Amino acid sequence: MVKGLVADIQRASFHDGDGIRTTVFMKGCPLSCLWCHNPEAISFEKQELFYPEKCIGCNMCDKGCYSGAKVICGKEMTPDEVFAEIKQDSPYYTNGGGVTFSGGEPMVQKDFIKEVIALCKSENISCAMETSLIYYDEEVLSSLDFVMCDLKIWDEDIHKKCTGVSNKTIKENFIKLNKLNIPIIARTPVIPEINQEIDKISEFLKTLHNVKKYELLPYHPLGLSKQKALGLEINEFTVPNKEYMKELERYVYIRE
Amino acid sequence: MYTYENRLKSMRDTKVRHTLEKRAQNGYTDLDDFGTVPISENYEVEPWYNSSNGSFYGYDGMSENFARVMDAHEAYVDPNEMLCGRWRDMLVNYRGDVHYLPDWLKKKPKIMELMSSATDQWSKRWDEQRFPYDDLKPLQQKYNIQTGIDGDAHLACDYRIGFSLGFGGFLEKIEKYRKINPDKKAFYDAEEKTVKAIIRFIDRHIEKIKEMILSEENTDIKANLEEMLETCQSVRLDKPKTFQEACQWTAFFNCAARVCTRDGAGFQLDGLLYPYYERDIKAGILDDEKAKFLIANLLLIDPHYYQISGVDDEDKDMTNPLSYLILEAADSINIACNLTVRVHENCDKEFLRKAVYYLLKNKNGWPRFCNDKALCEGYMKNGVDKTTARERIAVGCNWMCVPGKEFPMNDTVKINIAKVMDVALSEMKFEENKSTEKLFEIFEKHLKIAIDTTAKGVNLHIDHQWEVTPELVMNLMMNNTIEKGEDISQCATLYTVGVDGAGLAVVADSFGALSTRVEEEKVLNWDEVYEALENDFSDERTRLILNSAPKYCQGNTISDKWAKRLTECWVKNIKGQEMPEGRCLVPGWFSWARSIEYGSKVGATPNGRRAGEPISHGANPNPHFRNDGAPTAQSNGIASVQCGYGNTAPLQIEFDPKLADDEKGIEVIENFILGHFKQNGTLININILDKEKLLEAHENPDLHPDLVVRVTGFTAYFASLSPQFRQLVVDRFLEGI
Repeated sequence: MVKGLVADIQRASFHDGDGIRTTVFMKGCPLSCLWCHNPEAISFEKQELFYPEKCIGCNMCDKGCYSGAKVICGKEMTPDEVFAEIKQDSPYYTNGGGVTFSGGEPMVQKDFIKEVIALCKSENISCAMETSLIYYDEEVLSSLDFVMCDLKIWDEDIHKKCTGVSNKTIKENFIKLNKLNIPIIARTPVIPEINQEIDKISEFLKTLHNVKKYELLPYHPLGLSKQKALGLEINEFTVPNKEYMKELERYVYIRE
Repeated sequence: MYTYENRLKSMRDTKVRHTLEKRAQNGYTDLDDFGTVPISENYEVEPWYNSSNGSFYGYDGMSENFARVMDAHEAYVDPNEMLCGRWRDMLVNYRGDVHYLPDWLKKKPKIMELMSSATDQWSKRWDEQRFPYDDLKPLQQKYNIQTGIDGDAHLACDYRIGFSLGFGGFLEKIEKYRKINPDKKAFYDAEEKTVKAIIRFIDRHIEKIKEMILSEENTDIKANLEEMLETCQSVRLDKPKTFQEACQWTAFFNCAARVCTRDGAGFQLDGLLYPYYERDIKAGILDDEKAKFLIANLLLIDPHYYQISGVDDEDKDMTNPLSYLILEAADSINIACNLTVRVHENCDKEFLRKAVYYLLKNKNGWPRFCNDKALCEGYMKNGVDKTTARERIAVGCNWMCVPGKEFPMNDTVKINIAKVMDVALSEMKFEENKSTEKLFEIFEKHLKIAIDTTAKGVNLHIDHQWEVTPELVMNLMMNNTIEKGEDISQCATLYTVGVDGAGLAVVADSFGALSTRVEEEKVLNWDEVYEALENDFSDERTRLILNSAPKYCQGNTISDKWAKRLTECWVKNIKGQEMPEGRCLVPGWFSWARSIEYGSKVGATPNGRRAGEPISHGANPNPHFRNDGAPTAQSNGIASVQCGYGNTAPLQIEFDPKLADDEKGIEVIENFILGHFKQNGTLININILDKEKLLEAHENPDLHPDLVVRVTGFTAYFASLSPQFRQLVVDRFLEGI
């Protein structure tokens, strides 16, 4: 049985799609967005995060850390194990709730995801995915109830500079995905320092009839403490204020 | 402008002012607001003591003092309101109850004399000279039992009786049965004296309104006062005939019930008032705006626990237009409000949606939600028929009662199971072969003793309560009482006595931590655990090893399994407890507001909790039970420990206030409620608080005297809570978001 490397499973997530959802964060992502708020899910390997403020200085690290100072991110799990966790919240999935696969980039572990989706479908649990669309797998995508995907920056060069990859494939995959007739929620994280050309992104998305909603997500610095705990270089950006977001509001839309 | 809106605003402002004045008079009170108004300057009661132990008891003691306290109550009429009457003081205070005694009363020398011989558990509320229980005290103390002896009866009146008789009808009924039961003279004399004191209370309101009319120049206000006068004159003796009269009658009765024992409860508000509403609307003497104002006024007078919606004994939806108006009324006054929405799959879904909408809109902890199906089916397991079980309504903080029929004592009897575990741990220390199984075996042995001790206390209370604190006011609207000439403690149809366990999460997590760290992983051995408990975790690493073990409500953990096993053990032993014919104990999990006090009695526990720290609250998990704090995980955990006999293990939960701004907030909460109830959860108390406002109020309560929090089952003005209790609410809230 294929095993997945799971970064975290967050239950009762209210912000990743419709209803009450369980979000399964998978490890590994080919992108390395400078503002990533889940930096612990980028690496394809297990990683240790260190929070010095929690350390009690017992000098017994080798015998295990119980203070929460040293935390391992990445747990090998079978599809059944992940499904067992998802199933615990079945009573709350009515009216649109379900599971959301996120990451990292969940498509990195698509074989594993396929098996979990099959288990969910056997019990009528709605499945969604948050993906960068750097990969396209029709079998996986067409089995989802909706897809949340980002178009982060319009310009290819800036995209490559800030995420490590070109957005050419992503744009193409947006067009392909649109043909599958699955509702798409498109999103752009708003980072004031970066010229994202949100007007162009919005225009492009409007040509795709299955993009039911376009959302702008203001940058938040929640990933910083994790970057620090991973010993990574810290990239801090400006949190857009309300006025800034208000200005951009004209680009978001909901298609009835 | 004398508009409904302006009048409500003024009523709300007055309430805020009263809250601050009461705090100055009473000191901090970690209690429900109860709708009292401040004591006036010249308020004075000269109690009559009829016992050689310096206190007063029984029919004559209670009725005479009820009349004295009632007569000392001046009329309360606010021309902005449509209803009048408020209470300020209760006669049982004059027996020196250490738990509830307000500061202003502590200045009375006689009260302090009574208090001097009271302890924190045993006050002069109970007549120990005649009904001693010294034999029980050592064990009650050992297991930290809240005995229920002379606790509140926590009855629910059957308002149908009062609505069909009125105060004059009560007097006639008393006269009728006095002749049939001549040997019950003391009872009937007391009841008659009680009703007459209530009528005098109404008379004072009539006189006050007349005076106010004479000096009132504003024609609108004058017209309102004249209507109030007419209403009071009508309900003085007659049964209520209109919607306004039914509300006013209820207000007067509730004031009287509170003055007597602070007891009393609401009713199915949209059910009992609906015929009056329909009739008056048809007759053209009432419109929805006025009905809403009257309900808001009634809710302001006393934050009694009223229920709305739900299904009848044929599972048919009872939601009606008045149910909606009640929500709108509560919204218009938006004060500490104890409305419970009964939820059932057959109920109007729109209504639940609207109820959740108001919860999110006002962030004031109302309404709360109970599960009609689980509560009814559970209560039937005590041998009660469905019609009766369906009548059992949420009329208290966490407690249910069949109006007019049941003597539940619910929420007044508790066993601190963390203390029972404490005792078991001490005993196991000298065992050669230590294990969680052995500990559980010893725990159960002591639990049985604790339950047996509790039962003895309960029976003592029921056997003699009529000679100590007869429920003179509530007897008027109970079945059998007036007919038989007996206090309700002697003649209830149902003696289903609630016994709650407190500290479930502490005990479950302790067993879980020992299973995991000592038995499974062998990171610690038993000697190290005992040493750590004895030195109150002087080594932080040892504490963290235990504290970081999988917890109850984390989801299918070892501690979740222990919580279920503890529940099975609790239910089996509570239900297995022998009781005299016609009485039984009903299990629940609930600590009310006593988690700080209970915690102070318990040493360090193997879940990494230090000695004296608060125990877990109700059936809730310990703090940091999951990294994501998932409310669904908490909900599942609590649903899995329901005792299943009609009493509750409430889900007390705090939600992120951002949900209120989210377009899908209503849907999320709605799905959450339904998800918990699908798994047989019983009662949900939700707080959605504004973090900034809460923290500001914690720093300086006077900045937000209108801030209401749902502490446990009850709501309270945050500004009235003690700093220690405010901290507990803040901690719980920060954990929840």
